[in-house]
Amino acid sequence: MRVDPSYVTNLVGSLDQAQASQQQLTAELSSGVSITALSQNPAASGENVLLLNQIQQDDSFTQSSSLVSGQLQVADSSLGSVVSQLTQAISLATSANNGTMNASDTRSIATQISGILNEVESLANTSYQGQYIFAGGQTSTTPFTTSTATLPAVTTYNGDQGVNYLETPNGQKIQLNVPGSQIFLGSGSNSVFAALNSLVADYSSGTVNTTQGVADTQALGTALNFVSQQRVSIDNSITQLTAASDAVTSDQTELTGAQTNLMQADVAQVSTQLSLAETQQTALEDVIAQLDAASNSLFSKLQ
Amino acid sequence: MGTISSAFGLISGALDADQSALSIVANNVANANTPGYTEETPNWQENSPVTIGGVSYGSGVTETGATSVRDRVLEGRLDQQQQLASASSARLTALNGVQALFTPDSGSSTATAGDIGSDITSLFSSFSSLEADPTNISLREEVLSSAKTLAGDVSNAAASLDSQGSALGQQASGVTGQVNSLTTAIAQLNQQIETTSPNTDAGTLEDRRQEDLSQLSQLIGINQVTTENNGLSLTTTSGQLLVSGGSSFELTSGSVGGATHLFVGGTDITFQLASGGGQLGGTLTALNQDIPTALNALNQLAYNLSTSVNALNNAGTDLNGDTGTVTVPLNIFSQPTALAGSAASMSVAMTDPSQIATAALGLGTGNNSNANAMANLSNQSIVNGQTPIDYYSNFVSSLGATVSGVQAENTAENASVTQLQAQNNALSGVNLNDEAAAMSKMENSYQAASQVFTMLNTIMAAALNLGDQTTVS
Repeated sequence: MRVDPSYVTNLVGSLDQAQASQQQLTAELSSGVSITALSQNPAASGENVLLLNQIQQDDSFTQSSSLVSGQLQVADSSLGSVVSQLTQAISLATSANNGTMNASDTRSIATQISGILNEVESLANTSYQGQYIFAGGQTSTTPFTTSTATLPAVTTYNGDQGVNYLETPNGQKIQLNVPGSQIFLGSGSNSVFAALNSLVADYSSGTVNTTQGVADTQALGTALNFVSQQRVSIDNSITQLTAASDAVTSDQTELTGAQTNLMQADVAQVSTQLSLAETQQTALEDVIAQLDAASNSLFSKLQ
Repeated sequence: MGTISSAFGLISGALDADQSALSIVANNVANANTPGYTEETPNWQENSPVTIGGVSYGSGVTETGATSVRDRVLEGRLDQQQQLASASSARLTALNGVQALFTPDSGSSTATAGDIGSDITSLFSSFSSLEADPTNISLREEVLSSAKTLAGDVSNAAASLDSQGSALGQQASGVTGQVNSLTTAIAQLNQQIETTSPNTDAGTLEDRRQEDLSQLSQLIGINQVTTENNGLSLTTTSGQLLVSGGSSFELTSGSVGGATHLFVGGTDITFQLASGGGQLGGTLTALNQDIPTALNALNQLAYNLSTSVNALNNAGTDLNGDTGTVTVPLNIFSQPTALAGSAASMSVAMTDPSQIATAALGLGTGNNSNANAMANLSNQSIVNGQTPIDYYSNFVSSLGATVSGVQAENTAENASVTQLQAQNNALSGVNLNDEAAAMSKMENSYQAASQVFTMLNTIMAAALNLGDQTTVS
């Protein structure tokens, strides 16, 4: 049987391969990354793009949610103050309506309600980081202004009906604002400002038309209920935001784990492979040295 | 009747034959490491017997020259396999260059710079961030900066692909020069072989022709056809004649529409060569197939992302209360005019972050509906029926799969080349053990023949002296 006389050359080829595989394994160990080129694992490389995308989306949502939760808290506490101001206005109006007050007391009540009106207007004009939060999309325009040219005075809304939503990575939309007109200028008897302006007009002359006063007080009560209802939608948003951001955080942890598993080198496995490659290299080197040392042709025996 | 003098003639013929056989062995040993050398064996031929008075007497031996130990079928198979292996190896080298542009992002804090996937995500995340605070200038700046990063990385990748393409084109033109010098050499060898040994193996000349063929096989896919008088015709695998007898046909390269094309005579055979094999085949496959595929994917991404984002930004209201119009559009990216070249020319046109239209038409600038819509582009099938990130993810996996497929192919083909090479070496390589054995055998027979000669000499002297030992010694 004939054999390939150049077998040492082939062995050197194997030695090169063993060294290349050691280099690759050492690079994996030192970088901690198992996939350094797409071809090493095409499916994992594609999966990695998607995982990183989701992780980054989650991360960005977490940042956004901390930004908007401040705004939602401010909106909620403003509406809380509005509710207590309105409750106070109702009790003032009720005392003015019972017919026991003299003109000066009545006028004083008008002044107090007018103060509450100003207070509520300023709460309705609350801004967060320079942006009016009850102005719809017109966040740089003062949403409510009151004109005293007429009696009762008229409070107008300068904002719009724009509603902002924050979308969670899985597509849930969380409402970030309620347009001011919807809270404070509700239709019919739901308008806070109309009720307050009417009450001021009712009492400012000192003489009370009890029927009108009672009707306007009732209107303010309805408006107060309406504000409370609107406040519920802000509270709901806060709850949704907290829940979503908790879910996203745990999702992110899970995804990061998956991504790490996908891309990171398995140190134990790589070390084992490296040790095998080293053994192979030593063996090959020994074989080559042996063949070299042994007289590898009959010529050495010829005299 | 045989005579002493005929025995002299016979044995001196044997000495001559042994000498020429020894010189063949010596030549084998001398060429043990010569590339392309084929081991030669001496041809021994028994001389015709002499019949005298009805009795036959042997008349010795002649050595009639060396025969190269070769298997042309095996050599042909080796050449073919070499063509495949060289093609996949050249393509693999080119593909490794391509995939290096899209190194996977490890996701660690020191994330790979220039990862287009992360860039796409960053762009849409920056729109999502704007949902939280649409009037915030620094968040708006972030949109422009992530758009610039994306556009920069996409256009860099496209430019690199482009320059890899032109490098491959130059490489292909360079290979044609080598192919031409080899086909010329083969044509000359054909001529020499046809005149010197039209009917038998041409030995050294055949070795040289075979060596040229195996070098040619590394460069280009060829078919070999043996013709009369030991000639050889070569065609490309698609049938274009390269060598016919003593004439060779030049492969030339030229530019067609900015791309490197190859011709024989006036015929453009670029695409046939691409599937043909050899380094040229692999290079042309990468040049005409792999790089355009990657470039097209980037173009699709750049074109669709730019136009979709621009369209939405023109459909909203920016921080100044303006809306884009046909004459004064509010484009974030430079609006691409055609799909081709859109990746290379991808750039950010907007300089003023307040021009990002976060609000819906007709609503105040604090509205975020349009920012919402732009962030939602990331979930819409805007790139070839896929979301941008799915498209990119599929692109990298299919690129990776192509590279890994070619890698596997190349490994298998190289293994097969090694195997055939080992078979061919086993048959045609110079085995020093065999040569030592032959040498030793020849030495013995030469010694024996000289011994016979000496004894014949003594016998002849005895015959001439007729018993007197002193006259002739």
